[in-house]
Amino acid sequence: MKAIRSLLDRLYEAPALQRYKPIIGAADAILYGTDETTRGAPHVVDNIDIKRYMSFVILALLPAVLASVCFFGFRVIAIIMVSYMAGGAVEVAFAIIRKHDIHEGFLITGLIFPLVLPPTTPLWVVAVGVVFGTMFGKEMFGGTGRNIFNPALVGRLFITIAFPAIMTMNWQKPFVSGPEAITSATPLTTYKSTAKASKVNPDVVEFEKDEANKQVLFTSASAVKRCTQNGDSRFDGVKIYCVGEPAYNKAGKHKRIEDDNLVRLFSYGDLLVGKEPGSMGETCRIVIVLGGIFLMLARVSNWRIPVSYIGTVFVLALVGHRFLPHDIAPPVFQMLTGGLMFGAMFMATDPITSPFTKAGKYCFGISCGVLTVLIRSFTGYVEGVMFSIVIMNAFTPLIDQIVLMFKYRPVKT
Amino acid sequence: MIAKNRAFPGGYRFRHFEGRPQDKLIRAAIPATITIPLMQGFGDEVAAVVAMGDKVAAGQIIGRDDESISSPVHSSVNGKIVKIGKIEYLGNETTAITIESDGTGDWQSLEGCSAAWDNLAIEQIEELIYLSGAAGAGRDGIPTGFNSSIISPDEVENVIIHGVESEMYAVSSSLLLQGDNLPHFAEGTKILRKVLPHAAFSIALNSECNSLIADVSGAFADNDWCDVRGLEPRYPADYDEILVSAVLGRQFPAGLLAANIGVIVLDIQAVLAVYDAVVAGKAVIERTIALAGPGFEENLHVNVRVGSPLQHIIDGMVKQGADLRFLRNSCLTGEGLFDLSMPADRTCSAIIAVVEGNKREMFAFMRPGPRKDSYSRTFLSLFLGGEKITKRCETNLRGELRPCISCNYCVEVCPVSVIPHLLFHHVEREVIDEALLKYGIFDCIECNLCTYVCPSKITLGQWIKDGKAKLLDEGIPCPQPKFALKGVEEDEDTR
Repeated sequence: MKAIRSLLDRLYEAPALQRYKPIIGAADAILYGTDETTRGAPHVVDNIDIKRYMSFVILALLPAVLASVCFFGFRVIAIIMVSYMAGGAVEVAFAIIRKHDIHEGFLITGLIFPLVLPPTTPLWVVAVGVVFGTMFGKEMFGGTGRNIFNPALVGRLFITIAFPAIMTMNWQKPFVSGPEAITSATPLTTYKSTAKASKVNPDVVEFEKDEANKQVLFTSASAVKRCTQNGDSRFDGVKIYCVGEPAYNKAGKHKRIEDDNLVRLFSYGDLLVGKEPGSMGETCRIVIVLGGIFLMLARVSNWRIPVSYIGTVFVLALVGHRFLPHDIAPPVFQMLTGGLMFGAMFMATDPITSPFTKAGKYCFGISCGVLTVLIRSFTGYVEGVMFSIVIMNAFTPLIDQIVLMFKYRPVKT
Repeated sequence: MIAKNRAFPGGYRFRHFEGRPQDKLIRAAIPATITIPLMQGFGDEVAAVVAMGDKVAAGQIIGRDDESISSPVHSSVNGKIVKIGKIEYLGNETTAITIESDGTGDWQSLEGCSAAWDNLAIEQIEELIYLSGAAGAGRDGIPTGFNSSIISPDEVENVIIHGVESEMYAVSSSLLLQGDNLPHFAEGTKILRKVLPHAAFSIALNSECNSLIADVSGAFADNDWCDVRGLEPRYPADYDEILVSAVLGRQFPAGLLAANIGVIVLDIQAVLAVYDAVVAGKAVIERTIALAGPGFEENLHVNVRVGSPLQHIIDGMVKQGADLRFLRNSCLTGEGLFDLSMPADRTCSAIIAVVEGNKREMFAFMRPGPRKDSYSRTFLSLFLGGEKITKRCETNLRGELRPCISCNYCVEVCPVSVIPHLLFHHVEREVIDEALLKYGIFDCIECNLCTYVCPSKITLGQWIKDGKAKLLDEGIPCPQPKFALKGVEEDEDTR
């Protein structure tokens, strides 16, 4: 212990290292905490500091990191390390230029950014993305606390636009490695590409097999049951897609659905656990939700945005799917696919880039939900979480201003 | 959702801090010398009416000024005046009288006091309250026919007597009201009722002390003009501004005093002082002070003569070898007592000794923290904190200054619903204009709770204070409330 202490003290005094004081200071502060005391009232202050605040976010993300290592292999760790190193270098460079301490906000950006990337992303793309995100998403605005956009999302957005093929075509199936693991189909893309050409949730009694009805998409387990239990020969040779089927029993009850017929099946259980392709950190929804709830209970994040965001997506999908089943996926499917859970729990809640007023938080969450459903259903993109959060980030100051305008009346003096 | 049965928004419960004062009272010896500042509490500095070398008795008036708003000060010992001169006291320069004590403990009683106080004329009672110095209590004083408050007795509509103990360390209300003191307190309240005939009385106590509330309610069972209630001891429930809205449901005039809307806020010791003055003829020469915080060997209450040097009060009680900081009355808003030769005046209710936390802690931010208090729920103290595992009380800052991340802790705890970080951003960027008024900067009661909870270690309370001062510098005054105010002319004179 003493050796480290004296080493740090000597580093502080070394004339050659004067410029790199932020790095020494950061290491020192992490190792030893502060010896600063309060000046004047209040003489005693709360024990929380930004380091602990931020480290709780990392703690809440750890299960998601572990899950992604399980699903996609140790490459995930390499990606996270590249992200931390490349982004950290930018942070340190700006700290040295601006002559201030290294701010802890980067610890979160550096971890969230890789978690929203596809597992197959080349390491150099990771580095480019995180450097862009940190530099143009945060430092250009003046550093932590002044940024308008979530830096991790700025980086993700940049590489999505700059390298569309890498970012949309190479999804990796969990637990599989090698060339056969690569697929271009995430659950959301599959839904988008099949729903248009399929008969969605046909009325079993009136179902007639004809040229137009070569493909059927079921979005509820009961619908599958209805058509299979009848022992109906009309479904022979029809491609069946199925969303939300809890379990497919090959030898058991659902005899009519032959292996060949059932093309793709997304069980909600699999989606919850993360057995479907997706970005590294976003697939294992169950640990993301638990991590998010942990953060809310620890008072590190606020429940208002995630609840209003996910709630809005659910309600909109519930209503929308009834009327436009070919465009809008069913509600539970929407909640358990893409980055919705991850985005709502860890990115929309970023206190710096979301409104600070209560009404503003609801407004932010609801708007994000509406945008997410709209982008997912009616645009060329299959995923809308990233865009909707970035768009709403831009509106955050406006939302707060409007809420404040209503809350506080001008005072006449 | 938890049902919102809250008397005021925000606030914070300081639970289980180490060194809470026990319900034990000792009497300090009479000090060899005492120093009486001629400005104590809210009033103006009074003029000395004694000269060097005069012999004085305990309870004798040594300074008074009947013209300005003030109340007399007394010698608290029998002895001889050895010095009259300026001292630096709590940030102000003020004249102080130093008296060398002869060590005797008796005191001179006021003329005209009577146990049968009901037979005294109101003017006589007022004079006793004024002359005893009891009228100088609180922020507004007790109105009498003598200039002891900015309003006159007839203008008082409500009196609030509080002992909610919402501070991290507070004088124990049950100790103050134990034994004979409870009937004395009830008598004192009735005396006040006679002086302030139009006032309704409210007594707010710690809602967790059920037996005390029951006892006090019992003492006022037949008096429908007095309402006894419990208030959750959530800081800053003992503030005038909070009591006025939480107990009375009345709007407080921002930036002004409770007296301006006809409310007088007193603590339990003030009422006991009224009793002592009127019934026993005893001036305010004694004070019960809590010795709180981890720096004391034993945390108890001590009854001292007003003006005793701090060193005399804490002598022999302090832990040896510890690096301590002494605070006056409050950890959050109190002044640091760095010169222990200074006296404890009659507004002092607690001396708090906290550990000077200038030692570094290995991996401080990663520790589980069973003894670390936090508004956030990120420390083990959330589950472990209790009577056995008390929370540490140190002056360590626990972190480095960082930019505001709008975590909203300050907004959640703010008892008056302003947005501290919004005001901070305006003041920091030198945007001093009407927008600050709009966002209610003058509603801030300077309880410093926002600074306490800030994870970025921004001294929000200080920034807001600076913002107010800058606004006044620029000639933008605090907006006056629309309702009628009392005692405004006098108030402006005193400013």
